[in-house]
Amino acid sequence: MKFNNMRIFCVSLLLCSGLAASNGENLDIETVVEGLEHPWGVTFISENEMLVTELSGNIRRVSNGLLSPEPIGGVPEVLYAGQGGLSEVAIDPNFADNSLIYLSFSAPDSDQPKLNQLNVIQARLDGNVLVDHKTIFKSDPPRKTAAHYGARLAFLADGTLLIASGDGFNYREQAQFLNNHFGKILRINTDGSIPHDNPFSATPDALPEIWSYGHRNPQGLLVADDGAVYEHEHGPQGGDEINLIMPGKNYGWPAITYGVDYSGAMISPFTDQPGMEQPLKYWDPSIAPSGMTLYQGAMFPHWQGSLFISALVPGDVRRIGLQDANIIEEEILFTEFGRIRNIVSAPDGSLILVTDGDNGKLIRVSAKQ
Amino acid sequence: MIKQIPAFLISLLIATFLLVTQTTATNLIWLNSINMPVDLHIVLSSMATDLVGMNSKGAFPVIGLIFVGLLISFVTARIISIWSSIKKPILYALAGGAALLAIVVLMPLAFYNLDLIAGARTLTGKVYLICAGILAGYYFGSHPAKGVSNEI
Repeated sequence: MKFNNMRIFCVSLLLCSGLAASNGENLDIETVVEGLEHPWGVTFISENEMLVTELSGNIRRVSNGLLSPEPIGGVPEVLYAGQGGLSEVAIDPNFADNSLIYLSFSAPDSDQPKLNQLNVIQARLDGNVLVDHKTIFKSDPPRKTAAHYGARLAFLADGTLLIASGDGFNYREQAQFLNNHFGKILRINTDGSIPHDNPFSATPDALPEIWSYGHRNPQGLLVADDGAVYEHEHGPQGGDEINLIMPGKNYGWPAITYGVDYSGAMISPFTDQPGMEQPLKYWDPSIAPSGMTLYQGAMFPHWQGSLFISALVPGDVRRIGLQDANIIEEEILFTEFGRIRNIVSAPDGSLILVTDGDNGKLIRVSAKQ
Repeated sequence: MIKQIPAFLISLLIATFLLVTQTTATNLIWLNSINMPVDLHIVLSSMATDLVGMNSKGAFPVIGLIFVGLLISFVTARIISIWSSIKKPILYALAGGAALLAIVVLMPLAFYNLDLIAGARTLTGKVYLICAGILAGYYFGSHPAKGVSNEI
């Protein structure tokens, strides 16, 4: 009984501290950088230095909280239109030794310039310039639309690279077929070759780089320390999802969905079907999830193990409590900044929020001293 | 002009019904092709859901979009008819087709080539919807109000 009381006391204390932190009482919120043009991807390259992509085609370096005036040179030309542009930046797991970074972006198809593709390149960061570019992925077939690229990147523990590729909006049915890159999560080696142990390597007519399928527009992708892969994706009206991704699985879009089309039309009357995975959670109405980090820092011990998901609509951050890869709670935070494009964990344990728009900001959330 | 309102509303309903049901059919035919359990109940309930949903729950009410399109094209046809000897049903049929053509072609141009009406994503779908506009216009042109010509 005493033990139980003590446990209740401890849990209450923990919840109260969490609530206090959530309410901003124990938080320092500081705008680190502003004036970014539609910032999208963020990655730390050292304890105090990060790279930020701008959808318009620049990579900006932020060192010790100061924005370098000169963008990184050597960035390839991108198609900056609609939702397209320079998207994700990720560093190689051995970045400290090889200085390799990976970029995803939309660009016109070289053979059919009216069409475009999602591209992923590897390049070496040499000072303030990217050199030794190598294209390691181009989505196929090319598309005419400038929307739903996905474009998130994440590394598995074995060093292979996951690429989220969206359904291109007009091509949603293709997400159910294995002969194309629409609505897929792909797994490749960092040199662009395809691992032999991918789930569809031996499936006739399937592209061997496909890792999972039936996705709409994945905007969050991360690999937890235990190997679990979490993804979230934009649904249409309603039906934004967070999924636990497993190789070879079909996540259902657009055969099953909890959302309806922007026109108000039903996309599918079905929400479940044998052989298709259910989301861990879906949002209706939509929140437009836009980025995601798994918090493992020491600054906010009560948040350790939580997923933080940035959202564009109405503009906030969702803290998702996990237990054994199941969602046990959701808390809405940081509602005062408008559309939030991304969220990352800093090496010091603070959180960096990235606001959307042509005056995008980096906002640091840290514990009050 | 007021006497033309019933014919106009019926032509509006014809075009709206054909557009909505074509979107429903497009989705269900595809679902059926991948062995999803589409039966008669699903077909009927989907159609009813879309007739309500596409006119009240979307980013734009389809019937409103078609209303604007047909109104502009029929008024234009009326002006052309002053100088033209083209038979009214043909003239208004062309006007109705032009209205739907504008909707299915101009909307994607305004939204980065996104076809917001799912049934209009293919060339076949676009042609069908233009035919729906032609049919609606033909109805309007063929139903003059009693005692007056079929002019809006």
